[in-house]
Amino acid sequence: MQQQAGDTLLPRLVAGLGRPSGHGGAVEEPDFAGIFEVLPSPFMVLDADLRYVAVNRAYEEATLRSRQELLGRGLFEMFPNEGESGRRLRASFDSVFATGEPDTIAFIPYEIPRPEWQGGGMEQRYWSATHTPLKAADGSVRFVVQNTVDVTEIVRIKEAQSLPFRNVPGELALLKHAQDVEEAYQETVSEGEAFRRLFRQAPGMIAVLEGPEHVFTFVNDSYQRFVGGRDLVGRTVREALPEIADQGFLELLDAVYTRGETVSGEAMPITIQPHPDMAAVEAFIDFTYNPISNAEGAITGVFVQGSDRTEAVRASQHQRTLMDELNHRVKNTLATIQAMARQSFRDVGDLDEARYAFESRLLALSRAHNILAERRWESAPLTALLKEELGSFAEQRVRLDGPEILLSAKSAIALAIVLHELTSNARRYGALAGEAGVLAVQWSGEAQTSGQTLEVDWQEARGTDAPGAPVHLEPGYGVRVITRIIEGEFGGTLALDLRETGLICRFKIKLFEAGDIAV
Amino acid sequence: MLSEGRDGSCDLTGVKVFIVEDESLVAMQLEDMLLDLGCDVVGLAMRIKGAHEIIDSGIPIDVAILDVNVSGETVYPVAERLCSSGVPIVFATGYGREGVEERWHGCQILQKPYTLQQIETSIDRSRP
Repeated sequence: MQQQAGDTLLPRLVAGLGRPSGHGGAVEEPDFAGIFEVLPSPFMVLDADLRYVAVNRAYEEATLRSRQELLGRGLFEMFPNEGESGRRLRASFDSVFATGEPDTIAFIPYEIPRPEWQGGGMEQRYWSATHTPLKAADGSVRFVVQNTVDVTEIVRIKEAQSLPFRNVPGELALLKHAQDVEEAYQETVSEGEAFRRLFRQAPGMIAVLEGPEHVFTFVNDSYQRFVGGRDLVGRTVREALPEIADQGFLELLDAVYTRGETVSGEAMPITIQPHPDMAAVEAFIDFTYNPISNAEGAITGVFVQGSDRTEAVRASQHQRTLMDELNHRVKNTLATIQAMARQSFRDVGDLDEARYAFESRLLALSRAHNILAERRWESAPLTALLKEELGSFAEQRVRLDGPEILLSAKSAIALAIVLHELTSNARRYGALAGEAGVLAVQWSGEAQTSGQTLEVDWQEARGTDAPGAPVHLEPGYGVRVITRIIEGEFGGTLALDLRETGLICRFKIKLFEAGDIAV
Repeated sequence: MLSEGRDGSCDLTGVKVFIVEDESLVAMQLEDMLLDLGCDVVGLAMRIKGAHEIIDSGIPIDVAILDVNVSGETVYPVAERLCSSGVPIVFATGYGREGVEERWHGCQILQKPYTLQQIETSIDRSRP
């Protein structure tokens, strides 16, 4: 049989299957062989050895092979395929022969050899095929009829629109392919849906753009959230996200689309404004744009992946600011210590005394830093500063009286230096020399619109046991520092009054705001 | 006055220096260093407002040494005024070069802490 020409094979084949030939009415018997031949859709018949026993003209055209080449030859001899598609096709035939039930391969990529006169080589094609059994009288399957449709063009169009989610079923509906194709496809569809769901719920941002205008054909939840929940699918990037038009991203997409390059960026700033009435939000993203190519290698779209790095970038910026701030503070502190050393060792009479003065100034600064560090450098209570200097004296000798006032870091350090100079002077020449003197420190503060003011009244009452030297205020550094800080740095007023009974120091200053810290 | 081992290659005697610095101790030290160099400190401002007042007074200034951040404000408006009247500027900041706006990078920039020699060199180089 396989040696005979297909033209004459089919009627006998049909007759051989015991097909009823009408009921003897007046209706003319149609020419089934003729119909088979002229059907616009490709048909062919295989025997149990998967050899061609009949092909129609449309099949010859679709496969680029004549019936002379095909008939009697095995399908896999003519169209070998060692891959998944070959296995799928063979399995479908096996299933029809084994079960006697039709089987459908709704979509199958299958390369076919291009004839020499068309340049040779292999050509990637996409097919949809229905396999129907032709049974003998005993019910056994003798032949399989394949109706196949070359869907390559449609797939390519669709591919451009929906990569990586080939949405073939809708296209087949357009083809008005047999209904069972639709049914058989449900499984494939659900597989595609699972895949789609996976992408949709992925934590990273994913979008698929098609064509030179970058039309969104897919966006996942993460992407949609990032752009403020706007509808994107079916719109161009320029229409859907107008605010990013002048941020350089469209140019990058164009480059990917036209040149096929992969473009990526790290921590790129982007301004997103979900609605013209809404505030624009600055964000930072990592992204990759990959070209999507079709089987011929032509670029059909861009695959976008991204992740929102805003929080990480902000954290690192914040850290950078803190590092700068730390460096600034350290340098300023070093400059302050340098100044202390310079002043302490200037015109030294007694080197030990100078060293003692320097070290006590250094410790006063260090204690002020401790107080601030305990409160994350946000504030320091005035009483804590006073107690650091004066806490070692009995309560009856040192009276502290005033409301708690929180000082900014800058105010605290400046005041700590003032209090240290006043205290060390009192220890050497004033109320805290000897055992009988009394120091009273009173203060008051009030909040004003232009910042908080602080008024301090430092009154010393020398004891009778104080060293015989007259009431004394060490000239030079101590007074100079106090004057400079109160009048210069704080822009306040200072009154120093040396009486027989002891020093009285009054000053009134406007405190620095927290924002002035360490500047 | 030469006790700190300066090479004495430049003579800054009588150079009129204007200081903007909001840290008292640092300001005092700078004053002392300038006095040691023979300079004449014609003004010390610890606030931006005070700096403008000193410039307003019309006092002659040969060189200005400016801290960048002064009690929460930047010193650039003051620098602009000085620059437009041709006063050379030396910036002195804990941030160093990165703490100074790029357009001022042509000026001398000192990082705190600085030595007497660095002050001397900066003033000398800043002058036309």
